[in-house]
Amino acid sequence: MAITFEKVNFSYGAGTTLAHAILHDVTVNMPSGQVTAIVGQTGSGKSTLVQHINGLLKPTQGRVVVDDFELTARTKEKQLMQLRQKVGIVFQFPENQLFANSVLEDVMYAPLNFGADKVAAQAAAETALRRVGVAEALWQKSPFELSGGQMRRVAMAGTLASDPSVVVLDEPAAGLDPKGQAELLQLVLELKSLGKTVVFISHHMDHVVAVADQVVVMHDGRVVAKDTPAVLFNRDLDWFKKMKLDLPKAGQFAEKLTAAGMKLPERPLTLTQLATAINTEVGHE
Amino acid sequence: MTQAIKINNLNYQYDDTQTLFDDFNLTIESGQWVALVGHNGSGKSTLAKLVLGLIAANAGEITVFGVPLTVETVHEIRGQIGMVFQNPDNQFVGATVADDVAFGLENQQLPSNDMPSRIDEALNIVGMQAFKDREPHTLSGGQKQRVALASVLALAPKIIILDEATAMLDPDGRDTVMQTLQALKARFGKALTLITITHDMDEATLADRVVVINDGQLILDGTPAAVFSQRDLMHDNGLALPFAGELAAQMQPAPANYLDERELIQWLSRLKK
Repeated sequence: MAITFEKVNFSYGAGTTLAHAILHDVTVNMPSGQVTAIVGQTGSGKSTLVQHINGLLKPTQGRVVVDDFELTARTKEKQLMQLRQKVGIVFQFPENQLFANSVLEDVMYAPLNFGADKVAAQAAAETALRRVGVAEALWQKSPFELSGGQMRRVAMAGTLASDPSVVVLDEPAAGLDPKGQAELLQLVLELKSLGKTVVFISHHMDHVVAVADQVVVMHDGRVVAKDTPAVLFNRDLDWFKKMKLDLPKAGQFAEKLTAAGMKLPERPLTLTQLATAINTEVGHE
Repeated sequence: MTQAIKINNLNYQYDDTQTLFDDFNLTIESGQWVALVGHNGSGKSTLAKLVLGLIAANAGEITVFGVPLTVETVHEIRGQIGMVFQNPDNQFVGATVADDVAFGLENQQLPSNDMPSRIDEALNIVGMQAFKDREPHTLSGGQKQRVALASVLALAPKIIILDEATAMLDPDGRDTVMQTLQALKARFGKALTLITITHDMDEATLADRVVVINDGQLILDGTPAAVFSQRDLMHDNGLALPFAGELAAQMQPAPANYLDERELIQWLSRLKK
């Protein structure tokens, strides 16, 4: 399910003297069935951008098209239900949004809300909980008895249970330990293999390299680049400084090596690429 | 050397049945910077809560600067320990940054004449003095955590514990908080014991000592170089080495000893003439 932003402007308090413009003339598309990463420094407009994908925010000008749904300033609230069945958003620290008495009830909430009967909602919830790796022993527990990592998964299952075609994840790995982060990236790839369109916001360039098909770079409310990770991360170092973006760790290390006198032929994006490049370089002695 | 924290034969169960710590021992010398590392659920935050007396052990003894932790001493002990938590949004009470730092001082009933200088000094140390009249919610995550640190510093604690204080921050925020901690250590030296609870190994390399725990067991304890030499054991416990350590393991030939990032770059640049 493709997502297209066409000349989208967004301001808070539009039409008032307090109007505060956040997005400027954003035109970008996120192809169906692919993983698109949104990166950019804090305050660059990433979260505002993705909140348009399920109509939490509406463009002040321009339009957002998700599959066959068009979102504009004039879209009525009651039409949004149709969009929200297509698009599931997992916010930052989604564990803060858990509310039900049991894990299973919490995850069943969205399918019930979208009109599924109890049996179907429970089946959908169970599938989602298995997908995110929440053990059956926990399903009847209160979500508030769980660890932070488990709560995160339950919250994600709550979004996946209504089987959205588009999944938007806002900083899904923040605060997770290395194992939790690896499992989360695995889940992103699994969602892609199920044919879903995935959009995720991240500050971790290594995560971007690991799962993204393309990267959208935001700066001061504008889209300033859209490329594959391989192309994007080979840009000039000064550009990354200006955008206040990190390189992947392998790229950072390679830059330090260059400064110390060992120049690699091209900037590596992963540990394996870096190790191979160094071994080749040293082996030529 | 004085012992800042001494944990003897600690036993702790949660849900009344699940044993987390069983005969756990750990001593932290005064003035050390200790990184307490382990994956989520390993028991590292629980350990901090036990030391602060926020939860009670089932058996064993915890002493802080020689004073055993009991119902009678818990307030005195908490007065010596400052704590910064993970979520920068959950630790603000004041309408401005300065009010927020003042809150703790007011609780200690410090004479109000002394407060402005204490507040200024604390904000100065963390580089947030220019923000003293700002509303906390307008700050970035990294700035919030530095204010949280200033609130703790104003109370002149002997021990500061940071529980994954950078986990929710963007790279910029994480860097400024880590630089602030290094500046704190440089300023206070042996007068400050610092405990950073983290699963970011690049952060742990900054500490004097790394303690690895898993399922309430002490797995490794030593200098960063000694701990990070145990790559297999780290991996078995759900942890990675710092980036340079993982890279060194892929080198052919690999360096004989553990090298930190700077050392590895030197070693590599010598291989290449």
